Amino acid sequence: MIVRTFAVARYLTADLSRSQRFLLPLLVHGAVLAVLFGGDPGPPPGPWAVSALVVYPTAAWLAVVVANTEAPEQRAVTIASAGGPARVTAATLLVAFAGGLVLAALSVLVPVVVSRYPYPPPVLLAGALAHVACAATGTALGLLVARPVVRRIGWSVCIGVAVVMATAVQPWLPPAGSAVEALVSGRLPIAQAALGVGLAVVAGVVSWAREIRTA
Amino acid sequence: MGVRLAGVRKSYRRRGEVLAGIDLELAPARPAVVVGGNGTGKSTLLRIAAGAGAPTAGSVTGRPGVVGFLPGRVPASSRMPARAYLRHMAAVHGTRQDAGDLLDELGFSGDLDAPVARLSTGNVQKILLAQALGCGAGLLVLDEPWSGLDAPAMAALDRLLAAAAATTALLVADHTGRAAALPGAAVFRLAHGVLAAEAAAPPEVRHTVVELWCPGDPAEVLRGLPGVRASWLGAGSLTVRVPADRGDGLLAAALARGCSVLGVRRDGARP
Repeated sequence: MIVRTFAVARYLTADLSRSQRFLLPLLVHGAVLAVLFGGDPGPPPGPWAVSALVVYPTAAWLAVVVANTEAPEQRAVTIASAGGPARVTAATLLVAFAGGLVLAALSVLVPVVVSRYPYPPPVLLAGALAHVACAATGTALGLLVARPVVRRIGWSVCIGVAVVMATAVQPWLPPAGSAVEALVSGRLPIAQAALGVGLAVVAGVVSWAREIRTA
Repeated sequence: MGVRLAGVRKSYRRRGEVLAGIDLELAPARPAVVVGGNGTGKSTLLRIAAGAGAPTAGSVTGRPGVVGFLPGRVPASSRMPARAYLRHMAAVHGTRQDAGDLLDELGFSGDLDAPVARLSTGNVQKILLAQALGCGAGLLVLDEPWSGLDAPAMAALDRLLAAAAATTALLVADHTGRAAALPGAAVFRLAHGVLAAEAAAPPEVRHTVVELWCPGDPAEVLRGLPGVRASWLGAGSLTVRVPADRGDGLLAAALARGCSVLGVRRDGARP
């Protein structure tokens, strides 16, 4: 099970790396980080509140790219070859979440490297957890608005943007909103990070169920 | 070992019920061939048998862990070089087999390091056949495997499938008639969502076409000739078509009536 799931993940990564579609969310994210941390961002964790909220949509975008990278006919071959949709969905989730974690790691580490403020370990941990929570939430959202759940990319964009606009700015709303809220108020967003990862897994299950029903 | 489809149904929201209760048993040495018009659900049935789709109702049991699947529509979007694609697909199948020999046998003539999307239709088909046939699968599901192939590759595929079918369960959708010629093949027609066993093709009846010159009324002459299936009246000649095994009798009768034989030739067409 595991070996062939990772084989699918490697295949999807190789396919994705040739598609260049992953570049756009990466560049947008990098541009935001450059603006955010380019001048004087101020002491942590303040600026991270913004970068964590940016990871949410860019991780979602990346997840849509990962889930849509194969043409539907090609996906049928991959599913049959992998012995069913479970491995393919799991691999899609793994690759999408790994991509989200890369964006999160960039967001956490860039200010540590470039800014002159001290980053004590507890603050660093809180920042990392908040970014993981937001990246995982983004992965979950991306999987829910991509194939096989939403087949038209136009709808993917509309629904994805609407959900991000509605949920990102609610400080009480777990996991993304409340993770940022916990970060700026000095608490560790452990529960939010766990919830985010849980949501991503649930989104994977939804995607798998949808793949079975509509294939 | 055998793969069993029991009461398989598939409905789509827009198309309605495509498969309305399919029972099918797939086992080595008993290749199953599905024929049917366009849009009758052959590809849907094959996807479900291969595990790329799930039935709305019913079940597929006994599917082995490794399935070789060839889709009906050739995906043209892969940016991956053919060689890398085959390597990745072998890993996804859980095998390390090299498909190079298969490609040679099929007469692959493209560049293995070029993206799959840039290969010709026939070469893409050969790549996809290689990934399906070269994975040591316990079940092969092939949707129109001969499509897009040149004549030598078609003949090579005949040999490969005949060899594979002896040890592997095989389900083929095919309209060329080549799959029906596989040893032990059972042909099913898919119509209105159900499968019906198709009677074996009628044995080909060979005909002999005889051109005669006969004195007297042609209609009168025709009545005296045995076994005539068709006749044409030309300028100064009467052409008749008889089953090959009745050719001698016809010639004897014609000569006895005073006719001259202008020509005799073989006609391979079916009645």
